Amino acid sequence: MDVVVADNLVKVFPTPDGREKRAVDGLSFRVQSGHIYGLLGPNGAGKTTTLRLLSGLMAPTSGSASLGGFDVSTQPNDVKRVLGFLTANTGLYQRLTARELLVYFARLHRIEPDASAARAEELINWLGIGDFAALRCGALSTGQKQRVNIARALVADPPILIMDEPTLGLDVLSNRIILEYIKRERDGGKTIILSTHYLDEAEDMCDRIGLLHDGKLVAEGDLASLRLLAGEERLSNIFLKLIHANEKVEAVVR
Amino acid sequence: MSFHRSIRTIYGKELVDILRDRRTLIAMIVVPIVLYPLLMLGSIQAVSYQAESMEDEPLVVGILGEQQAVELQLLIERDTLALRQEKEQLDPESDEAIQFPSPLDHFQLRSFASPEALETSIQNRMINLGVVLSGEIRTDMPDRTNSVQLLYDFEDIRSMFARNRLGEMLERTADRVRTARKQHLGLPEAFDKPFEITAKDLSTPSSILGQILPLILILMTITGAIYPAIDLTAGERERGTLESLMVSPVPVIDLIVGKFLVVTTVAIMGAALNLASVTATVYFGGFDKMIAGTGGGIPIVTMVVILLCLIPFAVLMSAIMIAVCSFARTFKEAQNYVTPVILAVLIPGGIAALPATRLEGIMLVMPVGNMVLLAKEFLLGATVPALHIVMVLISTTLYAGAAVALAANIFGKESVVFADAGSFKAGLTRGLIKPSARPTISMGLLFVAVLFPVWFFVQAAFSPGPDEDASGLLHATGVLMPVLFVILPVAMAAYWKIDIRNTFSLRVPPLRHLFAGILVGVSAWVPAHELNVLQQFLFGIPQNVIESAERMGEALFALPVASVFLLIALVPALCEELLFRGFLLSGLGSAAKKWTAILVAGAVFGVFHFFLFKFPVTFVLGILLGYLCWQSRSILPGIIAHFLHNAIGATSALWQEEWLGWLGVQADDEWAHLPLRVLVVGGVVFVGGVLMMSRRKEPARESYTTTIPDGS
Repeated sequence: MDVVVADNLVKVFPTPDGREKRAVDGLSFRVQSGHIYGLLGPNGAGKTTTLRLLSGLMAPTSGSASLGGFDVSTQPNDVKRVLGFLTANTGLYQRLTARELLVYFARLHRIEPDASAARAEELINWLGIGDFAALRCGALSTGQKQRVNIARALVADPPILIMDEPTLGLDVLSNRIILEYIKRERDGGKTIILSTHYLDEAEDMCDRIGLLHDGKLVAEGDLASLRLLAGEERLSNIFLKLIHANEKVEAVVR
Repeated sequence: MSFHRSIRTIYGKELVDILRDRRTLIAMIVVPIVLYPLLMLGSIQAVSYQAESMEDEPLVVGILGEQQAVELQLLIERDTLALRQEKEQLDPESDEAIQFPSPLDHFQLRSFASPEALETSIQNRMINLGVVLSGEIRTDMPDRTNSVQLLYDFEDIRSMFARNRLGEMLERTADRVRTARKQHLGLPEAFDKPFEITAKDLSTPSSILGQILPLILILMTITGAIYPAIDLTAGERERGTLESLMVSPVPVIDLIVGKFLVVTTVAIMGAALNLASVTATVYFGGFDKMIAGTGGGIPIVTMVVILLCLIPFAVLMSAIMIAVCSFARTFKEAQNYVTPVILAVLIPGGIAALPATRLEGIMLVMPVGNMVLLAKEFLLGATVPALHIVMVLISTTLYAGAAVALAANIFGKESVVFADAGSFKAGLTRGLIKPSARPTISMGLLFVAVLFPVWFFVQAAFSPGPDEDASGLLHATGVLMPVLFVILPVAMAAYWKIDIRNTFSLRVPPLRHLFAGILVGVSAWVPAHELNVLQQFLFGIPQNVIESAERMGEALFALPVASVFLLIALVPALCEELLFRGFLLSGLGSAAKKWTAILVAGAVFGVFHFFLFKFPVTFVLGILLGYLCWQSRSILPGIIAHFLHNAIGATSALWQEEWLGWLGVQADDEWAHLPLRVLVVGGVVFVGGVLMMSRRKEPARESYTTTIPDGS
């Protein structure tokens, strides 16, 4: 079953000089229930914009998208109910403790006070936040913050997760911890869209991969079919080949 | 309701969050507790030091001619001697003795040879006062008047002080000479005093406070609101928490209302702490006499009144601050936006604080200014008419509501949330505006909030003088109403690519709604009349309503019949329907629920009639017309109903005798109940009309049904 459907999504930004920039340009893809879908692409390919369109943070210029059967444009509140959203640079409320923050977001999802506290405790145990749950978020390390952030995204136990470079700037250990949690969520039946430009990560994690370049999907499939398509073994080589960047790399190296 | 629950959740969290911030605490608690007492101590001591030093420092008096200098010196010495003798006769404990004038022992005399030199010295402030005597001073000649000219500089406080002291001395001397002359001639003491004029100053201690305190407190309240407003809006974006907030299933309006309530709370808490700090400083510092004058003491009641007046002000300021800061992406940007807003607020506040400004006319609806004036009037102990209080509160609520609606529309907009989504300017650049079906709620509310004072001013400017009829007002309305109520909103809609047909409900109505409009139009005067009778019975009729009705009546007879129906019935029916049931109701309906939108539009329609007495009837009619438009999805039935209702009003005024005769009512009793048969027939027609409205015309499938919401 396709839980996420993007249909010919277009997002046009006005640029300061009065022209238009097509950040997302006719993007269509589907994500099956219980899959991790990797959205890969170089900086500026349109990954973040795509994820913002899917989460309803931005309105598409044209095209449509649906999450869990709800249309992003016309049923934004329903979409937000089935969605957990996480980015690398999501801030936390510095003056709330991790526990208070989780309870707050649970309450925003209309979870009753007692149930909110219980859910926060559950996530604190599950994600190993206990040691710093009583500290204010301003005092946490980057890795700790990102764990709290994952807990925040999971607080309403949403069936769909959108994660925009969740491991950006993390050390190896934190990175591994976060990725393990994401896998556990997938194994628990959640549908996850993951954007990253760490290709090893994608190779390791994703059930399906979409290669994004200049707002367009250059190729899509599981790792095996992408290898076949590009005639390369390693994802990084597949990636470079498919976006025709090899010539550019050689030109620069030479 | 879940609506309130999410606002409560947001309110609770934001309040904890903001109160844990050191900067808020410093601005809210440390500043008032430490700074104001310090400031007050400092300024009071500086003032009293200045006053003391003025007493101590010698005042230099220049006098034309050496001989004259000797004579003036002699006068001063004689006065000093006389004062000493007079004071010895008084009981040293009595009030009189305490307030007894002191001799001019700090005066230094310097003689000048020429008048020019004397004047130049005063202008250069080399000396404080100049004295020119017309000749030798002779107090012993009964037929002689000695002329003394005092030269001084009004701008120089020392010069004024010297002038007063010397003037008093001369008065005292003149009194003594007069007494001596009367004794000499054997005249009674009262001979030259046919009147004894005394004046008593009845200004209460609070009156002095009344002039300054409101303005000071405005500053305190703004100071309290600025930081939280920025922190909760632009700060959210800057710290990267906005995205996670915006993907939570909470409508933006809930977020904004929750945040707005927190800012209001903090602003009121700050104002209360400031006020308490000032009061405590004044009391415990023993400065109450100095501030409040000889009356002493600042009544606690006064302070409570000030605090109560501050609450609506805090509400308005918080709403404005939240709206302004919602435009900003960073703290710095928000601060840049806030500064001009504070200046803009201080201008009406400052005008209101001027002693001569009263709470009347345009000042009644002046944002901020009206609140300051209301506080001032209360403090001055003036009786403020209930209508004025209502006007101030309603207009303030309207402005605050519009600001909150604006904030809800801006906050979280993708152009504000994401730097790469284009600037806010893009939202005003026509090429980039996307067509939409109807105006936003904030556009609707903002428009009426701005129009309200403008329309009030128009009404005030053209309101008839004591001997005029209201035809000037009618003509002005006839010209300005189409411009302000119709052309302006249509132009706005056109610019923002808003569907004009949909916004103004320009559709062919179903026949049943047309018929309902006609029924209600011809019968609404019956319940309206009964409602007026009830009001009259409960509260009486305010004089201004009677006068305005009389002027209007005179105008009707002064104008040709066709003009009467044009100006009273057709123009208002068209214009008011298009504005209130067209632009405003569409805007409200884009975000609010059906009945909220209809009630708010009805209330605004009522408020626009300015008279409190007219509010109940216009409010109810506004609701009915809103309901009619909503149900029929067409503006036309409402226009017809409105026209018929107003036309009947004009007819009954023009042909009053025939009208009353037809009804069977005594001509001299216009506040009587209508005869039963009229009540029954009118009531049945009216209720029938309302019932006919109840079936709604289903909207036809249109090319776009809603605008794309921005994260709400």
